[in-house]
Amino acid sequence: MAFSLKLELPSHPQVLSVVRSAVQQFAAVVGFNEDECRSIILAVDEALANIIRHAYGDRYDQTIELTCRRLGPDLGTDPGTPLDQVRDGLEFILIDHGLPADPAQLKGRDLEDVRPGGLGMHLINQIMDQVCYQALPDRNQLRLIKVLNRKPQ
Amino acid sequence: MQISTRQAGTSTVVDVVGDIDLYNSPEIRKVLLETIRDKRVPRVIINLKDVRYIDSSGVASLVEGLKVSRNMNSRFILYGLSAAAREVLELSRLIKVFEVYENEEQALNAS
Repeated sequence: MAFSLKLELPSHPQVLSVVRSAVQQFAAVVGFNEDECRSIILAVDEALANIIRHAYGDRYDQTIELTCRRLGPDLGTDPGTPLDQVRDGLEFILIDHGLPADPAQLKGRDLEDVRPGGLGMHLINQIMDQVCYQALPDRNQLRLIKVLNRKPQ
Repeated sequence: MQISTRQAGTSTVVDVVGDIDLYNSPEIRKVLLETIRDKRVPRVIINLKDVRYIDSSGVASLVEGLKVSRNMNSRFILYGLSAAAREVLELSRLIKVFEVYENEEQALNAS
């Protein structure tokens, strides 16, 4: 069954713990295991933190729209996928109206350089199967997808 | 999130309880840097056993603590990493940068 959850959030760090709880429950219902849920929570949390810090420059009175959507087998499966590897998964779409991201920052920085900061995009790219950022005329949109490969019963 | 410090012999232990995220990592950073600079102890030990979650801003605070400790010739030690804390340090390839132990006894007695 496909279903979605749409949240309109203030760009305040205090809401992050609430979102983490919601994402944890959502991912668990879809069927991700405990380790996968933990990773997904981290990626979504980092994406929101990036918007608060960089797109909105730590202005806490702005709005972030977060949509979590289950990609069911009927929605997210590539044609020709063997039945025993039917793809299920989760999609997150984050929309803000702040400054567009610097394309160089979206790749994440060189980790050999041990210093504080700049790790968020690296973590998101490591965890998610698809990361797509678009700076549109009226908004910035980040789309994250995590695939769930169900084992045959 | 709660943070407090205590003495254990010549070491200072920083106990952190709760999640570390963008909301409270500035407080962690402040306490860590003040502790390292003010106490000037040979060993600062961060107790993370009651921390279920750390984001990259929390990791950044730990990296900053590590760097300041090195400048002060003090050891900066972590112990009690949860699965979530370990994962974020591994994904950011920082797990080997830190001195990490399972429990406080090991952290206090590490040579």
